[in-house]
Amino acid sequence: MNQRNAPWAPTAAAAVVLLALTGCGGSASAQPADDTFVFATGKDISCLDPHVNGDMPQASIAANYLDSLVSQDKDGKIHPWLAESWKVSEDGLTYTFKVRDDVTFTDGTKFTAEAVKANLDHMVDPDTQSGTAGGYLKPYKSTDVVDDTTAVVTLNRPYAAFLEVLAQPFLGIESPTALKRPQAENCNSPVGTGPYKIVDYVPQSKVSLVRNEDYNSAPPFAQHQGPADIKNLEWQIVPEDSTRYGLLRAGQVDALDLMPSVHFAEAEADKNVALVLQDRPGNPTNLMLNTTRAPFDDLRVRQAFLQSVYVEAGINSVYFGTVTQAGGPLASTTKFYSPDFEDAYQPDPAKAARLLDEAGWTGRDKDGYRTKDGKRLVVHFPYTPAIWPTAHQALVTQLQASGKQAGFDVRIETGDYASVSEQGNNFDYDLRADYWNTNTADVLRIVFSSEYTESAGFVPNGSGFRNKEFDKIVNDALATDDPAVREKLYYRAQQIVSGNALQLPLYNQASQLAVRTDRFANLTLEPSLSLPYIYDVSAVKQS
Amino acid sequence: MSVALEPTTARGSLAGSPRPGQPASSPRGTAKAAAALRKTPIGVWIAAALLAFLVIAAVVPSLLIRQDPFVIDPATAFTAPNAEHWFGTDQNGRDVFSRVVAGTGQSLLLGLAATAIGLVLGGLLGITAGVSGKWLDSAICRFVEILFAFPGLLLALIVIAVSGTGTVTAAIAVGVGTAPGYARMLRTQTLQVIASPYVETALSLGRSRSHILWRTIVPNVVRPLFVLATLGVGQAIVWASSLSFLGLGAQPPAAEWGAMLADGRNYIQLAWWIAAFPGIFITLAALTTTVVGRHLQQRLEAEV
Amino acid sequence: MSAAATTSHTGLPRTTATAGSAGRVILKRAAGSVFVLWAAVTLTFFVLRLTPGDPVTAILGGAGSSPSPETVAAVKAQYGLDQPVFVQYLDYLAGLATGNFGTSYIFKVPVLDILGPQILPTFQLAGLALVFAWAIALAFTLLTVGRGRVRDGIGRGIEVFFAALPPFWVGIMLALVFAVILGWFPVAGDDGFKSLVLPALALAIPLGGFIAQVTRSSFEEARAQPFVLSARARGLSDLAVRLGHALRHAILPGLTLSAWAVGSLISSAVVAEIIFARPGLGRSLVDAIINRDLPITLAVVVIIAAVYIVVNLLVDVLYRVIDPRITEKGATA
Repeated sequence: MNQRNAPWAPTAAAAVVLLALTGCGGSASAQPADDTFVFATGKDISCLDPHVNGDMPQASIAANYLDSLVSQDKDGKIHPWLAESWKVSEDGLTYTFKVRDDVTFTDGTKFTAEAVKANLDHMVDPDTQSGTAGGYLKPYKSTDVVDDTTAVVTLNRPYAAFLEVLAQPFLGIESPTALKRPQAENCNSPVGTGPYKIVDYVPQSKVSLVRNEDYNSAPPFAQHQGPADIKNLEWQIVPEDSTRYGLLRAGQVDALDLMPSVHFAEAEADKNVALVLQDRPGNPTNLMLNTTRAPFDDLRVRQAFLQSVYVEAGINSVYFGTVTQAGGPLASTTKFYSPDFEDAYQPDPAKAARLLDEAGWTGRDKDGYRTKDGKRLVVHFPYTPAIWPTAHQALVTQLQASGKQAGFDVRIETGDYASVSEQGNNFDYDLRADYWNTNTADVLRIVFSSEYTESAGFVPNGSGFRNKEFDKIVNDALATDDPAVREKLYYRAQQIVSGNALQLPLYNQASQLAVRTDRFANLTLEPSLSLPYIYDVSAVKQS
Repeated sequence: MSVALEPTTARGSLAGSPRPGQPASSPRGTAKAAAALRKTPIGVWIAAALLAFLVIAAVVPSLLIRQDPFVIDPATAFTAPNAEHWFGTDQNGRDVFSRVVAGTGQSLLLGLAATAIGLVLGGLLGITAGVSGKWLDSAICRFVEILFAFPGLLLALIVIAVSGTGTVTAAIAVGVGTAPGYARMLRTQTLQVIASPYVETALSLGRSRSHILWRTIVPNVVRPLFVLATLGVGQAIVWASSLSFLGLGAQPPAAEWGAMLADGRNYIQLAWWIAAFPGIFITLAALTTTVVGRHLQQRLEAEV
Repeated sequence: MSAAATTSHTGLPRTTATAGSAGRVILKRAAGSVFVLWAAVTLTFFVLRLTPGDPVTAILGGAGSSPSPETVAAVKAQYGLDQPVFVQYLDYLAGLATGNFGTSYIFKVPVLDILGPQILPTFQLAGLALVFAWAIALAFTLLTVGRGRVRDGIGRGIEVFFAALPPFWVGIMLALVFAVILGWFPVAGDDGFKSLVLPALALAIPLGGFIAQVTRSSFEEARAQPFVLSARARGLSDLAVRLGHALRHAILPGLTLSAWAVGSLISSAVVAEIIFARPGLGRSLVDAIINRDLPITLAVVVIIAAVYIVVNLLVDVLYRVIDPRITEKGATA
């Protein structure tokens, strides 16, 4: 028998080691310090530089460290920001910007007109893969730096929406010195002139920012000037809905976005939580129908699809009515929106059946799906669940089921982001889940005109729609400043889109934030895209 | 958890030494069987009954299902369990009871397929190693040893990385993940069979090696496999549903338990029943197969 | 144990060394482990190369319509994808020797930058889960073995029940009851000891049930041993006998079991990491698989396999140090 004296030695040693491991796990308290604002976002951020790709999570966080050339107020009017003033030439092709001379980037580089050139060139550079900013800048030709405070931007056609898109964080101004670094490096630590600067980034986990003590370029829509009140900003990435909301409820985070609809009622009842809700302008959350191949190359089949699905029931059930249903190509908060297209496609199974018959899909196979010449009516729908809210995933399941009743075999093909994106860019799908947030009705041109069936970065025109009349209308609307003319043109544009059944609109995109009101106050939404605006947040005085 | 692995190796070799040629239904055998039945603990009977229920649900779900598990009805979403919906409804208004029962077939099949794949792969490796000469045996042992460097789910995840997500690949992945364990066990068993007097006798009688292999060795190695399988199916079901939970196995709108749990997790506060019941059934499947399998193993060992 | 058993009952590969000094044996075992590690890395490297799909797609993040050939060529050169596979393999090995695991396709930064912060949380989780699992197992064993049939039956029943529980379900239920409803523990995150408890328990309960079954059978065997009877004859109380003698005898297989358990915990930690939103290797691995990020997938597999091999080696060494009677057959009385 083992006569060793210390049989417990190995276990004891192990226990000590384990205790040591578990003992050193970060701060002991569950609540962050009073000078730290913790924001939990529901979507992962691919690159901290919003020039690259360009989606809403990127824009949300970039608003904290990037200023824009111009700003927008809540009525849509354009005001100065980093650019003090500007002059537009008669033909609308030349913009002369006079920029501030008292602003410095957080890496020490001085902000000059050179930065304007560096940034705009960066956005249109194919290597940047800029789907959003690059997409907005298709009319951009070049920038001339006249002197340190004067930049002359030349466009290749009139672009009435130019200043509007410049006001968005997607086109935020970064330090030219920083932009010279390899893209991978700039993706992890972009440098701007904004109220916060990045100090640390743990991918898929969190971004740590600290106050820019020399901040002096607050926009007109801000409520104060100078450095921000809150010293530290922590941006946590928590994709699971219930976890994210649980963290807020427990006070472990101070605010979150993508507020899960299932918890709305509970949040409204909680007196320590306030909801900040705002529908966003642009092209609503939708399913794009690919018109470049069968079966959706036939208008009747598209119309039949739109009339066989029950969107309202889905919104009431899995969204608990917390989003605004959209029926037309523009969200109701967009300028020049017309309500005439909301009810263009009501659920009508009989009509859908007739349309499918007319289109030749007269057979039915043993599973109940429609067939034509022995081939089944299959609708391929590549989909990446990870980037959509849970409710959206449930909604598409419902749409699939109601499509089945009409005879459509909707196949939700889940895949990773890269593969699904690639399919999206090569028009290798029949349905594509989409939306486009922007502060101008020019979104119709971006999402439906022929020019945008190709792009570095993702392809915005998901339906593949090519229509000369439509192209002319939306480009004419860009060439004029007269609101009455623009309204008429955009009405006709909406009519064309709706009539061609190019997409299944679902609901308005919206900023849906939840904030804890017991520690911090005054979380607002910035006007251009209704993104969370931390700059004006201040700590609640604890009594 | 590898329920199948350690208890058997800790306790000793697998069930019994080989008995070539002894008919299964000798008079003495039947009497012994009857006596064993009487001694079966009540717990095992309960487990067997529940297992039978699961098998029925898997094979003829229409007997138990009252509503179509795929039809959506948004108006009745998130209904708590009641008389009409025994397990309540989910976020799309689908009847959870019907989905859980419908999922039984898929989940059990996943577990069975994975176990079968694991046994076949492991058996090929293990038996070949056992009957081979030193060199091949060594090589296979080394190979299995390398596979053992990937603990738990890791092998399965590697297979998924290569072959993509989905039910079929999940079954293969779990099968590959469990194969090394089976390989080792079956090699041990094969070596025992070879060392038994019956094989020696057959050799001295001049039987050909392939005759011995197929008539003596393989049947005696394979016979305890059935018990091994029942022990392994439970773990395979848990692993396979874990993969589905992670989004790597069955894809929506499949009614598979792990996928349902992943779905229901988001509504856990509002509608706990969406996640609770699939989990209960996973546990039930693993539990009943383990209890029944364990009992069968004891019976088999006791018969020696 | 049958004399014909040629693998040790611990499941560890046996050494071909004859009885020599402990040092030589350990050295041989270490060399064997290095070989196994190298072979595992090689196997994984080539198997993962079989993954369908163009790595360039993953790297460019699903680029816009037709990325230019220059962009594609630049990407391939940057990631070494234009080299023959064998050259890539040798480059990878050389990189490993210097701690360079390559560059992530998705994040475009060195893999170790991504995985570095994930390693410690995973080990903390696995470590605590192991401690909890042993606590559960020992509690059941000490409290229910040899104390009458009813207790014994209850103990067995609960153990089997625990072992059958899927860890991800346990995690969800624990989070619901103890974090959401009762608020005793944080719902998620990686903020100190408290946020480790629930995730560790989720993994520990099934593992504990399983370990309990093993310790129970070892314990029962040990209790019947002569030394127990003689200890009791000398007047030691039942409790002292249990704790002191019988338990100590079960430590050895316990060590081996723990080595296996560590591997199992690290590889199944992913479900706890996902449910409780914790950083960790498991979560990184699953995300890398879903996004086809080969360098991260490969790196996590290599790290986990390396840790597992090292742990097994340590336990094997410890085994021989504690009980020099171990022969290469691996059996103990």
